[in-house]
Amino acid sequence: MKALILVGGFGTRLRPLTLSFPKPLVDFANKPMILHQIEALEAIGVSEVVLAINYQPEVMLNFLKDLEAKLGIKITCSQETEPLGTAGPLALARDKLIDDSGEPFFVLNSDVISEYPLKEMIAFHKHHGREASIMVTKVDEPSKYGVVVMEESTGEVEKFVEKPKLFVGNKINAGIYLLNPSVLDRIELRPTSIEKEVFPKIAAEKRLYAMVLPGFWMDVGQPRDYITGLRLYLDSLKKKSPSKLAAGSHIVGNVIVDETVKIGEGCLIGPDVAIGSGCVVESGVRLSRYTVMRGVRIKKHACISSSIIGWHSTVGQWARLENMTILGEDVHVCDEIYSNGGVVLPHKEIKSNIWKPEIVM
Amino acid sequence: MGSTDERVVAVIMVGGPTKGTRFRPLSLNIPKPLFPLAGQPMVHHPISACKKIPNLAQIFLIGFYDEREFALYVSSISNELRVPVRYLREDKPHGSAGGLYNFRDLIMEDSPSHIFLLNCDVCCSFPLPEMLESHRRYGGMGTILVIKVSAESANQFGELVADPATNELLHYTEKPETFVSDRINCGVYIFTPDIFTAIQGVSTQRKDRANLRRLSSFDALDSTTRNLPTDFVRLDQDILSPLAGKKQFYTYETMDFWEQIKTPGMSLKCSALYLAQFRFTSPNLLASGDGTKSAAISGDVYIHPSAKVHPTAKIGPNVSISANARIGAGARLISCIILDDVEIKENAVVIHAIVGWKSSIGRWSRVQASGDYNAKLGITILGEAVSVEDEVVVVNSIVLPNKTLNVSVQEEIIL
Repeated sequence: MKALILVGGFGTRLRPLTLSFPKPLVDFANKPMILHQIEALEAIGVSEVVLAINYQPEVMLNFLKDLEAKLGIKITCSQETEPLGTAGPLALARDKLIDDSGEPFFVLNSDVISEYPLKEMIAFHKHHGREASIMVTKVDEPSKYGVVVMEESTGEVEKFVEKPKLFVGNKINAGIYLLNPSVLDRIELRPTSIEKEVFPKIAAEKRLYAMVLPGFWMDVGQPRDYITGLRLYLDSLKKKSPSKLAAGSHIVGNVIVDETVKIGEGCLIGPDVAIGSGCVVESGVRLSRYTVMRGVRIKKHACISSSIIGWHSTVGQWARLENMTILGEDVHVCDEIYSNGGVVLPHKEIKSNIWKPEIVM
Repeated sequence: MGSTDERVVAVIMVGGPTKGTRFRPLSLNIPKPLFPLAGQPMVHHPISACKKIPNLAQIFLIGFYDEREFALYVSSISNELRVPVRYLREDKPHGSAGGLYNFRDLIMEDSPSHIFLLNCDVCCSFPLPEMLESHRRYGGMGTILVIKVSAESANQFGELVADPATNELLHYTEKPETFVSDRINCGVYIFTPDIFTAIQGVSTQRKDRANLRRLSSFDALDSTTRNLPTDFVRLDQDILSPLAGKKQFYTYETMDFWEQIKTPGMSLKCSALYLAQFRFTSPNLLASGDGTKSAAISGDVYIHPSAKVHPTAKIGPNVSISANARIGAGARLISCIILDDVEIKENAVVIHAIVGWKSSIGRWSRVQASGDYNAKLGITILGEAVSVEDEVVVVNSIVLPNKTLNVSVQEEIIL
């Protein structure tokens, strides 16, 4: 079975992190984002994954070579020379996705983190036996998104409504699709939107079905959602494989810590914290609701909450970072500094306090 | 007069990537020395000035950037100017004088009698042949280009005191807290080869002190240099300051313009200064037009030959338009730098801004700033491939590459 992951874009909303790495390679819960999706696909027996990319292909390709060897799944790239929207990349990768088996193929959006119930989706698709299945998820504010109006009992999709002003439903497109190869015949090789052009046509023929996604869903394309997504992911991990979470008297709530991390005495870590490989957390440190990428050093007595710290940065003694402080790669916060929502670009030293949210270039 | 086989070399310090974060966001896409001012890369201006030095044998660019970033430029400028230009990469910081010393064998390859040292991010008229003549008359180890500035701003720089009769450097101090002098160091120097002996002397002295420290824990030793490696030698604090008043260094004062190009805002100001200089040195480089067959030009304007400007547009003063840019009908550009492949659509207005490569400015949109070169958001900067949609207003803002603006913004940095 095959799959396509839509990687696309420059990831500008995840800057400054994406100034150092392309978005799919930014770590989420200690793993590059795209690895979450590739592992979920490999687990249900997908043999080949095609990445539709248009930005920094060399960086991606290097990463993938290492990965292919480790995972035993074939990974290829389909590179857009011009942005092709959300459907065009499928046409571009057509030859890679179709084989003689006639099996359906998955399409995933790389910004999405969820539980990936892909086996259940295959069963759902076989059961209705039509052309395409999509996952939908229930949200509180549907008018921010594209709403999928569907028949609740069968899942048959009636129509798509983009950012509706009146309530038409509370299920939105979760960005996970299972499509029969015949869908590719509907897509031309040009910038095309799958929600606006392709799916509505299939829905009109009553051949599109939607499955409500069990478990959590998050579009982690921007820092605030990234931190919320971490909380949801760790919650889910606690239910499924609690052994992966850290434990100890210094741990509160759900915390994931890479095995190479050193943590000092008298720390209090959690809830909802992820600490990447090679990090050093000195004694007396308080961390909550926060992610730190690989190779970071947090010095003694520092206190950090609701923040993201980029690769190889350091946080000084008694420093306090909170309220969506985002540090890019190689940022060094001096001792005793306070940052309230500072967003700092890579290779900077922070010597003075940041009193209110601001961008430091 | 020097003898005809007295060769001269020039060394231009170009800095490196992680050092100058003040030039962001433009430095996210291009090394600062290659950013264009008045239509030419920043480093091109000191290089062209070097070309005027009689008996110039070689030009060296020294910096921390990867060789690849300069390979193309260096080979094309060597061909164009018919003088060998080489880029040398420093593997680690050696200080402003240590860097020169680090490459002394290459610099002294042709046994030059004089060595010019220039900083790439200095914007001035580079009166190098005049400096050489004066230096020969003074007969010292080095001559420093100086300029008079306002007393209030002098303490941002190195302040010098010179003997009014002999021009000898009597005193030098870097960024002093109290007023010393209103003459400051422009970052352009000429030396004789014995400068290398002086630099080596500083290294040796520091090494001896370090050895002494190991033998006895004597805390009275100079704490400011305690942590510097022995081969890290700063020109200002370690050479000029101690040797001032010893008949070794002299000063040459310029009455022309001088600025440091540290921020994107300053690059716009310096582009205007160089455009004004073209009016005297190479007026054929400037554009002209009256709005009939070609666009109306006001003041100093540079337009690359491959750029297309609609005849109903009005351009200037102080505008520089790079290769393949397209300026649509009825557009108005004032005090801006338009980089390669930019498209400015009909009736758009751009004032006090830098528009990045491949960006697109929509119809009736307005990209503007207060024009305060020193304020953080005083010049609007659009990074590479930014798209400003029709009728959108962008004021006093900085936009990072690859963004699309479909709503108006003021006083914002958009990542």
